[in-house]
Amino acid sequence: MEKIISIKDVTYTYPESKQPAINNLSLDIYRNEWVSIVGRNGSGKSTLAKLIDGLIESESGTIFVDGQEVNEENIWNIRSKIGIVFQNPDHQFVGATVEDDVAFGLENQGVPRDEMVKEVDDALKMVDMQDYKTRDPQSLSGGQKQRVAIAGVLATKPSIIIMDESTSMLDPNGRKTVLDLVKQLRDQQDMTIISITHDIEETELSERIVVLRSGEVVKEADPKAIYDMGSELTKYGLEEPFSSQVASLLKDGIKLPEGYLNEEELIENIWKLSSKM
Amino acid sequence: MEIIFKNVTHSYEANSPLEGIGLNDVSLAIHDKKFTAIVGKTGSGKSTLVRHINALIKPTSGTIKVGDREITPETNNKNLKSLRKNVGMVFQFPESQLFEDTVEKDIMFGPMNFGMSESDAKESAKKMIKLVGLGEEYLDKSPFDLSGGQMRRVAIAGVLASNPETIILDEPTAGLDPVGRKEIMDLFKNLQKQGRTIILITHNMDDVANYAEEMVVIHDAKVMAVGKPKDIFNDKELLTNDILTLPRSAVFAQKLSKRDFSFPQLPITISELTAEIKQQVHGD
Amino acid sequence: MNKLILGRYLPGDSIIYRLDPRGKFLITFYFIGIVFLANNVASYGFLLLFVLFSVYISKINLGFFIKGLRPMLWLILFTVLLQLFFTPSNDPIWHWGILTLSTDGMRIAAYIFIRFVLIIFISTLLTLTTTPIEISDSIESILKPLKVIKFPVTQVALMLSIALRFVPLLIDETTKIMDAQRARGVDFGEGGVMQRIKSFVPILIPLFVSSFSIAYDLAIAMESRGYKDGEGRSKYRVLSWARRDNVALGVMILITIILLFIRSY
Ligand SMILES: Nc1ncnc2c1ncn2[C@@H]1O[C@H](COP(=O)(O)OP(=O)(O)OP(=O)(O)O)[C@@H](O)[C@H]1O
Ligand SMILES: Nc1ncnc2c1ncn2[C@@H]1O[C@H](COP(=O)(O)OP(=O)(O)OP(=O)(O)O)[C@@H](O)[C@H]1O
Ligand SMILES: [Mg+2]
Ligand SMILES: [Mg+2]
Repeated sequence: MEKIISIKDVTYTYPESKQPAINNLSLDIYRNEWVSIVGRNGSGKSTLAKLIDGLIESESGTIFVDGQEVNEENIWNIRSKIGIVFQNPDHQFVGATVEDDVAFGLENQGVPRDEMVKEVDDALKMVDMQDYKTRDPQSLSGGQKQRVAIAGVLATKPSIIIMDESTSMLDPNGRKTVLDLVKQLRDQQDMTIISITHDIEETELSERIVVLRSGEVVKEADPKAIYDMGSELTKYGLEEPFSSQVASLLKDGIKLPEGYLNEEELIENIWKLSSKM
Repeated sequence: MEIIFKNVTHSYEANSPLEGIGLNDVSLAIHDKKFTAIVGKTGSGKSTLVRHINALIKPTSGTIKVGDREITPETNNKNLKSLRKNVGMVFQFPESQLFEDTVEKDIMFGPMNFGMSESDAKESAKKMIKLVGLGEEYLDKSPFDLSGGQMRRVAIAGVLASNPETIILDEPTAGLDPVGRKEIMDLFKNLQKQGRTIILITHNMDDVANYAEEMVVIHDAKVMAVGKPKDIFNDKELLTNDILTLPRSAVFAQKLSKRDFSFPQLPITISELTAEIKQQVHGD
Repeated sequence: MNKLILGRYLPGDSIIYRLDPRGKFLITFYFIGIVFLANNVASYGFLLLFVLFSVYISKINLGFFIKGLRPMLWLILFTVLLQLFFTPSNDPIWHWGILTLSTDGMRIAAYIFIRFVLIIFISTLLTLTTTPIEISDSIESILKPLKVIKFPVTQVALMLSIALRFVPLLIDETTKIMDAQRARGVDFGEGGVMQRIKSFVPILIPLFVSSFSIAYDLAIAMESRGYKDGEGRSKYRVLSWARRDNVALGVMILITIILLFIRSY
């Protein structure tokens, strides 16, 4: 597999801070991969995202994105390859209307206007918000706002999308529409997705989970292996996946196979047991 | 304190061409010493509803009774302190209300506004900082030197320090990690057990199922349903009209019902769910 | 705070909405200028008729404009009363100490009042029918010649539109913080002056902190989307000058000629 992001021995300390927010961290991310980054509040997830995008500069170590080192010289090139969707939708709108906002990234790249009009339309269609083109983002629901923010990121055709708790301020419906959208993007476009989240169920679709603690990677494995840690997950501020919680409560009385079962597998197993009787 | 809404309507920017309805003819009773959850989609009117209880906003028409206090459209903006002392309110991202140079002073700010003596307020700050899971050593720190999660706890301590009988929580755990969330939710449950009334606005249906005894569903500025969570989550009409989403246990049970299991009533907590499964697996 | 009509955009559609914002912007300022040419009942009446007609074709409820006066009410009242009682006259109707009431004074007071109404109505009409971004776009386009002297027109315009984006966020934030502190027992506008000033500390500090963190978030979001310094950007919005905009300018010239004509009567 081809590495798209390669982070090596990176350390970063915020000014006025004693402890480093990212501490000698190394991590590789591969093209087309969906990686979840999890960890307690303050474990360094957002800081890592900002380092990858060159929004802050590491003290030591190197970061390569798509073959280019993140530095003063390449920074604009790299930013055009990465799109970030942040947590608070209200704090990321620049444009006064939906279409203006989606166009912002294209304007920055100096895309000619005729192309821009088409790209804006395409991006809005992808997130199914074309009917809201002329609306004030402020007048949309949370889920709609985040879809517009995603359209703004998609318009510039990045190869990497970073979602920094993009669903955490949404109601269940908004959350679902955003997640369905990301799923669809991953399947239809050639994108690498890095999703930062506190919601363990959201990590199930990813190929790899990276657990951070105090600015270090403490675990890195596929979801199944991570979920297998069971109640140990709470050490990293995480919740056990729902199906594991159900399974462990069922175990005193019902015989289930060892190891993590996802919801479908668990239902399958329960069903087999009950139909045998 | 019993809280009773009687035909309460609230229009934002009443009599202006930009008028918008925040609440539409709401009548509702929130019971004393209970844990009540308020749910509904974004913009349905949940925050508008609870802001009436401590008169941060006033009804355009109708009345709200909080204990023996009555709030009407004519209620004066003065003399609301005794009401606000009894009704504490924790907002979404409450850390944005911190302003003093030490945590202790910030926690003491509310109680002293409500007329508590300095020494009592200090005492209260000491108790509250421990209650929210931080040590006494935090009292001398600046709130702005703390992490987001710690600031959240200090802000909550600041509201609890005036010892309110009723505590209103407007999405208090947004952005916290699951472990932090559970600690905060357990804290509120404990406060209720000690005799407080808790009103929680949330989008998390598992929290509703796990913590609340009563539940209010708001939709389009109206109250659509009031009752026990178990009954409401089993209300077919609310579910088919997409007004309500289910807790994870109920969703799991629904999936099992497609596989020969049958649930006369959907279980809403994980213990109900697993008890039902065990019984049905062993039962027949 | 939410009641402020002046400076607010109201979504809608009518000929006034469709006019080119640059034209609207210039016309508004031009009109405010010629208001000072009016000097008699007929000329004031004529301008008032013109403004009311513009309001009519904008399809916006007159109530909005009257509300727009409200924040200025004290200023208007003060100025009008000043004229009413302090206009010196040889032929007073009523006289007491330094106060003089005369037909002259009454006339001038009435003119001043109408002048206020004209200016407020026409600027309200501009902001109600023009989005903030259109306003900042027109400013950019009007200032464009200044690029020759290295004035950072593009950056200034973007800063302006961001500042405009910021206003509702800050109003929201202020309301939230005020609510949170009121819930903690702060009474605004109670007690003596010191007390009142003190009660704003719990608002100002958090507001300061929040506006910094909102600005930081916004800056990070802009940078992550490739915003550099305004150079090398292309524009999504192009302003297009149509025939109706020429007509509008023509109308203004006509108005000026008629006004000059009535004035000399
Ligand atoms: N702008 C800043 N200035 C100073 N310190 C900061 C800043 N932003 C974050 N920190 C600190 O750096 C550490 C890592 O923060 P970061 O925001 O990366 O955590 P996170 O994992 O994203 O947490 P959360 O889950 O709360 O979003 C924390 O200790 C935090 O307090
Ligand atoms: N200050 C305000 N001015 C005008 N309209 C408002 C104001 N506050 C709320 N509204 C409107 O009133 C309605 C109810 O809003 P409210 O904030 O009570 O919803 P909510 O259920 O708390 O939503 P959320 O889950 O997003 O917090 C919405 O349509 C909203 O747009
Ligand atoms: Mg973060
Ligand atoms: Mg709300």
